[in-house]
Amino acid sequence: MSDFVPAGQITEARQALDRLRANMRVTIRGKDDVIDQVLVCLVAGGHLLIEDLPGVGKTTLAYSLARSMDCVFSRIQFTSDLLPSDVTGVAIYDETVKEFVFKKGPVFANVVLADEINRATPKTQSALLEVMDRARVTIDGEAHAVGAPFMVFATQNPVDYEGTFPLPESQMDRFLMRLRMGYPESNDELEILRTARGGYDAIALNPVVTRSEVLALQSLAHEIFVEDSVLEFILKIVAATRTEADFRAGASVRGGVALRAAAQARALVNNRDFVLPEDVTALVAPIFTHRLGLARQTSDTLEERRAVTATLRRIVASVPVPG
Amino acid sequence: MDPAKLEHPTPGALAARNERPNSETDRSPVQIGQFLAVNSASHKRPQLTLDELLQLKWLLGGVLTLLGVWTVFYMDIDAWTLMALTTVATLAVLIRPTLPARVPAFVHLLAFPSIVTFFIADLWLTTEVLPAMVRLDILLLLYRSVSYRQRRDELQIIVLGLFLIVVAGVLTVALTFAAQLLIYTGCALAFLLAITLTDSTAGGRAGGVIPNAALPEADSARGGKDNAHHARTVPPGWAAHANWGQLFRRLREVTDWRVVLLGGLLFAGVVGISALLFLAIPRFQLENSMFLDRFISKKAKSGFNDTIRFGDVTEIQQDTSVALSVDVSNQAQIPATPYWRMLVLDQYEAGTFKLSPGLRRQEFGIARTGSLLRGEARPRLGAATYWTFYFESGVSRYLPLIGQFGELRFREAQNFQLAADLAIVALRDEPVTMTAYRVEGFDPFGVLPDPKFAERWRKREQAAQPLLAMQNRPVARGSERETLQRLVNEATGGAKLTAAAFVPRVGAWLRDNHRYTLAPRVPDGAGDPLVRWLNSREDGHCELFAGSFVLLARVAGFPARVITGFKGGTWNAYSNNFTIRNSDAHAWAEIFDETSGAWLRADPLGVSAGGQAEEAKGAAALAGRMDRSWGARLDSLRVFWYRRIVSFDQRSQAETLKAVKEATQNSGRRLRAAIERAAATLKAWIAEPWDARRLAVVLGALAALAGLWWLGRKFGRAGWRRLVGGHSGRHGDPVRREAGQWLARLREPAHDEGRMTNDEGARVVADLQRLRFGARATWPEPERVFRRARRALREARRQQRAENRPLRS
Repeated sequence: MSDFVPAGQITEARQALDRLRANMRVTIRGKDDVIDQVLVCLVAGGHLLIEDLPGVGKTTLAYSLARSMDCVFSRIQFTSDLLPSDVTGVAIYDETVKEFVFKKGPVFANVVLADEINRATPKTQSALLEVMDRARVTIDGEAHAVGAPFMVFATQNPVDYEGTFPLPESQMDRFLMRLRMGYPESNDELEILRTARGGYDAIALNPVVTRSEVLALQSLAHEIFVEDSVLEFILKIVAATRTEADFRAGASVRGGVALRAAAQARALVNNRDFVLPEDVTALVAPIFTHRLGLARQTSDTLEERRAVTATLRRIVASVPVPG
Repeated sequence: MDPAKLEHPTPGALAARNERPNSETDRSPVQIGQFLAVNSASHKRPQLTLDELLQLKWLLGGVLTLLGVWTVFYMDIDAWTLMALTTVATLAVLIRPTLPARVPAFVHLLAFPSIVTFFIADLWLTTEVLPAMVRLDILLLLYRSVSYRQRRDELQIIVLGLFLIVVAGVLTVALTFAAQLLIYTGCALAFLLAITLTDSTAGGRAGGVIPNAALPEADSARGGKDNAHHARTVPPGWAAHANWGQLFRRLREVTDWRVVLLGGLLFAGVVGISALLFLAIPRFQLENSMFLDRFISKKAKSGFNDTIRFGDVTEIQQDTSVALSVDVSNQAQIPATPYWRMLVLDQYEAGTFKLSPGLRRQEFGIARTGSLLRGEARPRLGAATYWTFYFESGVSRYLPLIGQFGELRFREAQNFQLAADLAIVALRDEPVTMTAYRVEGFDPFGVLPDPKFAERWRKREQAAQPLLAMQNRPVARGSERETLQRLVNEATGGAKLTAAAFVPRVGAWLRDNHRYTLAPRVPDGAGDPLVRWLNSREDGHCELFAGSFVLLARVAGFPARVITGFKGGTWNAYSNNFTIRNSDAHAWAEIFDETSGAWLRADPLGVSAGGQAEEAKGAAALAGRMDRSWGARLDSLRVFWYRRIVSFDQRSQAETLKAVKEATQNSGRRLRAAIERAAATLKAWIAEPWDARRLAVVLGALAALAGLWWLGRKFGRAGWRRLVGGHSGRHGDPVRREAGQWLARLREPAHDEGRMTNDEGARVVADLQRLRFGARATWPEPERVFRRARRALREARRQQRAENRPLRS
């Protein structure tokens, strides 16, 4: 970790992020905090899990991000009969060249929307999750790199659990953050009602950021300075989740690293070249809620998430903020 | 898809870089965890691991054991074997910490029963409680040093060692005691610190992380005899790979010297406060005879005794340790070459001079107990001179004195016998501690008036028995007596001399025929050895010279006797006192002068009574004796210990307090005078007429002051920070700390909403945040930010007051 980031790079990053933010606000109305969190996830190079009811704008969010970025966007609707090769691609025998040729699946894109990920069988889920982790697809011993940047938006419906295969906690860990969209404010919704047209192709957005700029942002985020006391703050929060009686198990080491990386990204998104404790506190819930399970039984995922979030808030309030 | 994209780092690879920037390899979660831990600690001081702490504890325990056991060196207790055994065992287990595991299990089983048996048997056989307890203590230390210790054993080591040190210290009052106690206390504190650190380190990790064998404490905590047993016979993890060099390197690495300095200062402060308490608490006399018995102190390798064989004094001379320190209140009274008389030997028998039983009966009074005794010397005119003697233990039970004295006062009551006419004081027992006594009214010349003996000498014809000082029994035989007579004639030229004339003549004759040496040779043959030597031309030492002189004098018809004691000594330039070493031991003679009725000092090898007057006296003579060596510095420390600590009685307490008071008053007076002088000078200077040059000087000085103030304001605190905040300790960097404090103040509810949102406020907060959490290289200048923060806070408070006022009215 180099000690500091040149101010020029911060300014450039700030301009790029401002352009992105402004562009996304055109289609995602009244959800500035969600946009910021998506940007944090993008800059941190992580994947996003959006848990919400259908029709609140999950796909629009992913689509508008992809469009703003001069990126390849693809969407996979997960169903119970979806096969892994439907996600990753398949090697097909080509008569003309007399050998197997790899046909790339939808996962070969920069922004992939995995809709209703919990509807697919675990086998298909794990195929996607492997790609998320390794950023490459291995078919017949041959590695094929997916796009760069590579970001998966996975959605799942937290209420309707009929005929689903819930993701186990270990796989939940692969998602950097978990978001809820929520309903928009009434005047925002009024505006949506007034302007929205059916179909995603109707979303007319011009790319404002190049792929290389995104990659530069991502590498810049790693250079953001984290002071020792902030690292200790993260450590204490992680340790507190491990001793918390409400949780089945505490946050993993990867969870701690994710919190640090996300805090760095949030600092960059907020035009800072150093991490504040508030970066950490703001991200504890999005980073940890889906990674932690309650020790007691709950009726559905939504309730569990709410309880986990409340406990996390209590933990954050109890750990002394470095001052 | 564009193949060029493949060259970009993929998100997955970037995710890997989350874990460690610039690392291209994937890492398993465990490695990540390690990295996170290392990273968070990388800017902090490294700390000792549990293994290293245990190793350090082992080392300190060994050192404490050795310090405790080595007190045997200055106790007169037969525990040498045990001491040597413990020393060897402790050193061995220090060098190879795995050794205790090789001790067979039955030893641990039998240890305590056998130690108890040993103690009871010891007590039964010797019937001395304290030595038996000391031996028991050493035995316990020995056992503790060869087995792995649990916490209560560690504490036991401290207590056992402390017992030895306190016993040895209280009973001997040696300077070594002070040094040893200080070192021991320091080590014990470090030991306790190591124990605490070990506990907190071990406690921080829940059980299971630490393997059983690595931590005997953990075993005992979990209870179970088997576990404890197991811990003793299996070398713990730290012992298996103990490396002292590595430990010392690590110690140097992790030591925060500021903490060490602070600890040292605290320790010094505690010692200083103890010294103040010592100075301030009232004195009370502990009777020497109360509990000190002569069973425990170390005896000198040699010592003055009632009997002196030839070679004894020379043997004492080999020992250069200090035998006696003397404070003299009036240096002008010090003779050029002081002879410190200790014992009179009158009877000669077969090469041995001794104090005859007859003389002992006749001269030594009854044994008395007390602290004051009066001598024969009459008080003289002029201010009295006080001689304070600090007589080391293990030299003799006869006190060194210069001559007849007026009054002798012990610091503590003693059992003593006074031979007033001989000017000899004998204690009942050889003292086990340093003996301090003060003498007033010395007669420091080589003449010892003895009217009683003069009376007897006059009436010697009527006496039934020959006088004691003439008992030359073995030499009374014909041939030897003739030889001696011939030699006397040779020395005196056949003339009949007075005693005063006899002394220099015979002394010169002896020196002509024999030279002084420390390694004499007495010719072989039959008869009396002293006569054989006298008849030859061999070199000899002081005893041969003195003994020969006495024989010759007696043959010539003068009563004569041998005196043993010390001659000369050095003047310690640092503590201003006489230092007499065992190597200054000397033997000389005294001869009775009929005309003056007194004994004259006759030293064939030095200054006799007659020659005393010609020699320089007082300060001039001291110049030749000045000792400014490093040894003298150490000795001055010893004298300080005696003067101000051991012999610190009510009188010296009063003196010290008076001196402190006077020094304070004087310095106050001097300070006031200096201020008044300075004020007068300034007034005079201002009153002088002013011209351009003086004005320029004043303005220049003011400008320089202003510049200094500005520099101090600009760089002073930063420099101070750099000095004290080299790297972040527990509380972190001082700039970060101060920035954090400012942030907290600005964040207070009263100043938060609405007031800090103005541009300057936001900028200040951003800069403070950068100082608190940002990289050091991007910092704005801290001082300026803090000043702005102060201003912003003041502004915010002012606004708040302004807003509150209308509400109240």
